[in-house]
Amino acid sequence: MTKVVPDMSPRMSRRGFLTAAASTVGAVAAQPLLAACGSGGAPATTGAASTTLLQRILPHYTPNSLAKPDYPSIDGSSPAYLAYPSKLVRTVAETPGSGGSYTAITPLWGTIPSAGNPFDQAVNRALGATVSVAPANGNNYSTILPQLFSGNKLPDWIQVPTFWAPPLNFGQGAADRLADLTPYLAGAKISQYPNLAAIFSTGWQAGIWDDKLYGFPSFATGFNIGYQLYYRADVLDKLGIGTPAVKSINDLFDLAKEINDPKAKRWALGDIWGYLFQPFNYAPWMLDAKGSLITQYESEGIIEAMNWLAKAIKAGLVHPDQVAGNYGNGVTEFYSGQMAIVSDGMGAWNAADALKGQAAGKGYTRASFDLFTATGSGTPKVELQAATAWTSYLSKSLSAKQFQECLRIANYLAAPFGSVEYNLLNYGTEGVDYTMTGNGPQLTPSGTKYAGSSVTTYNFLASPNSTTYNAGYPEVTRASASWGQRNAKYGYPPLFYELNVTVPSSLSNANAFTPFTQTDSIMYEVVRGRSSIADYQSTLASWKRNGGNKLKSFYEGVLAQQKKLGSA
Amino acid sequence: MTDTATVTVTAPAGADPPRRPRRRWRVRGRRDRALLVMTLPALVLLGVFGYAPMLGLVMAFQDYDLYDGLLHSPWVGLANFQQLFTDPGFWHAFWSTLMLFSVQLVLFFPVPIALAILLDSLLSRRLRSVIQAVVTLPHFFSFVLVVTIFNEVFGGAGVLDTFLRSHGIASPFDFMTNPGTFRFLVSSQLIWKEAGWSMIVYLAALAAISPALHEAAAVDGAGYWRRLRYITLPGLTGITVLLLILNLGYALTFGFEQMLIQLPAVGSGAAQVITTFSFENGIVAGNYSYGAAAGLFLGITSVVLILGANKIAHLFGEDGLYRK
Repeated sequence: MTKVVPDMSPRMSRRGFLTAAASTVGAVAAQPLLAACGSGGAPATTGAASTTLLQRILPHYTPNSLAKPDYPSIDGSSPAYLAYPSKLVRTVAETPGSGGSYTAITPLWGTIPSAGNPFDQAVNRALGATVSVAPANGNNYSTILPQLFSGNKLPDWIQVPTFWAPPLNFGQGAADRLADLTPYLAGAKISQYPNLAAIFSTGWQAGIWDDKLYGFPSFATGFNIGYQLYYRADVLDKLGIGTPAVKSINDLFDLAKEINDPKAKRWALGDIWGYLFQPFNYAPWMLDAKGSLITQYESEGIIEAMNWLAKAIKAGLVHPDQVAGNYGNGVTEFYSGQMAIVSDGMGAWNAADALKGQAAGKGYTRASFDLFTATGSGTPKVELQAATAWTSYLSKSLSAKQFQECLRIANYLAAPFGSVEYNLLNYGTEGVDYTMTGNGPQLTPSGTKYAGSSVTTYNFLASPNSTTYNAGYPEVTRASASWGQRNAKYGYPPLFYELNVTVPSSLSNANAFTPFTQTDSIMYEVVRGRSSIADYQSTLASWKRNGGNKLKSFYEGVLAQQKKLGSA
Repeated sequence: MTDTATVTVTAPAGADPPRRPRRRWRVRGRRDRALLVMTLPALVLLGVFGYAPMLGLVMAFQDYDLYDGLLHSPWVGLANFQQLFTDPGFWHAFWSTLMLFSVQLVLFFPVPIALAILLDSLLSRRLRSVIQAVVTLPHFFSFVLVVTIFNEVFGGAGVLDTFLRSHGIASPFDFMTNPGTFRFLVSSQLIWKEAGWSMIVYLAALAAISPALHEAAAVDGAGYWRRLRYITLPGLTGITVLLLILNLGYALTFGFEQMLIQLPAVGSGAAQVITTFSFENGIVAGNYSYGAAAGLFLGITSVVLILGANKIAHLFGEDGLYRK
């Protein structure tokens, strides 16, 4: 089981990425930002919290790895284990709960498990409290959140991914509804909760809004990128191509032509738009050749990316369903070999994927291209995402006693790989949810339906740093872990990395980047040949006129402030 | 029922004129008590789910903030509407809605009538019920399923294209992703899904036409087409006009699901309608006041359309939504 981010449909990932790109996620925005711009006019001064303030807020990091990984972390890649630890360690001595009862909402991309199932019961018994997680459909989670926040109908505990925070005006609204964890967890105070203290500081940064710590991180990792480019190694083997040597975007085009055979119902590519930021090297905010601040939509890279994908679509190299925006069958089409190369999140490469893929066709093997540059020269670069986008929050309405109980529960949920607690949260109870084999824990049908490694529920409230372990599929671990070790060195933190910038409400329309982020964004239309690059330029000009330029000056202010504080 | 009512409410000569209306209400109320009680649940539902949420429309005149709520968000007057009416995207969605609706109406509306007449003329009851069941079934499918089925047949990787490709024929055009033919695509989806269901009302109206009329006309030597022209079609006029007016009420709100699902396939140039515009700008982008302004404009326009069509129906001597 690779613990990175849950598998999402390509469409979700694409939109997730674009939305994430539209806002900057991470940590510490600042009172000065609001103070300067609260009136809604163009900002006079802007600023971000200083490094010292950040150090005061951030919980101190104390690693507590229990087992020695077979693939240790290199440049931030997730540590990976080939075998399951034979002796599990108990990290939480006492039952964390004191009989409290809490409601929680988390997103789920898959079948919603029934309430009160055996796995939930076992977890709640171990917690000594009733945490009723009601998973909601991940595909429309972003539209459920505003209703919960506006109606003040928040559960006691809720997962709010940072890429869906902008429409919620999170920086302005969080304080009204959510509990401030700073007094309990800032600095050395976290030492009471050793499992929480072992989460990377960068993970905690994602939950900081306006100088206060609100969120619990899940699945934090040192090397988190938006997309990987995957291919079907077995399909390429069968075609006699073997391991492809893609060093440039032209290599990719040539390879796609070689694979493509619509007569045999095999298309080379899925809609890999999401991935193209890597070879064409653009990030949400960046500096152009002259050193001026620009958005990715003004970069040359994005124009080249559009032209390239348009060419691939025109050449018939992209699966027709993907061209038509029918992403729902994307995974099935990849499993059946109808698509050979797709882009997807890092979490797509795991045991569950291998299991489903091999059920669809023997020999199914997912592999990933090493990072490359568009031209084939120079060192590849990849924009790092914040350590995690998954952050959960407690309701402000909880009493101090309930708070303490939830913190102890969170500490239990964050128990690391190799612990008794991790085993329960991910595999359930032996004999009910899993059976222990020589290959590690194998989920039973009940476990597959409910347990955490198959259905993400409790893990979205808090979980330890990502580790890679795929029960029964060590070859998947070998491939993905060595890919991580090889490629993590190319990651670079983009501008405003790990910074939750609170944008004044007068700029929130521009900050939504709607023409570029909606389902049929202008890029989406251009690559499908329904709009031209000239249309793109005019959309961009119109966005700039309608608040975009003001937003840019606002961010220039943030950048200047960061430089002044020495944190940029 | 209506005839009885007319008789009952006729007041006796010499009654006190000012008290008449109140008495009439009381008498009517007592007489129709059972019926009124029966309408109560529907009225409550309408109140709770139809009218109460309309209070939220005030946000169209506010700069609505999730955390300030309706009570504390600042008022901005007509600013949202000013922005709406100067937004080319909105007008594009507006005209696109009207165009798609008109094409659907013209193509869809005659189909259930023709289907009903055809089925009514079948003699075998067994065959009739089989056909009726088959054509009614798609009504119970969601648009997600309908679009998926169309995609499996006509899509780029669908049955038709795969067949053509395997015989070395390049597909002439992709029906599912061609913005130029999108209006015909959505009309055909609607016909396939709803024609059978809509036919039921017309079948009922056909059953209400007295067979004696047909028999008398046949005895007088009228053939099938003459009977169709002078008996069947006039017998369907009332219900046709009623359904037409009701349909106009949906003119601006139709097909949200159908359009939203297919928007990525053909782009907003072809598939953006007011409801999807309102959804994308209001819910997805988090600009609730703007979305509400678009929604309010849509609601008012729909009411105007219904009342206008009803007026025209009355002018032509039809019942319309109610008898004048």
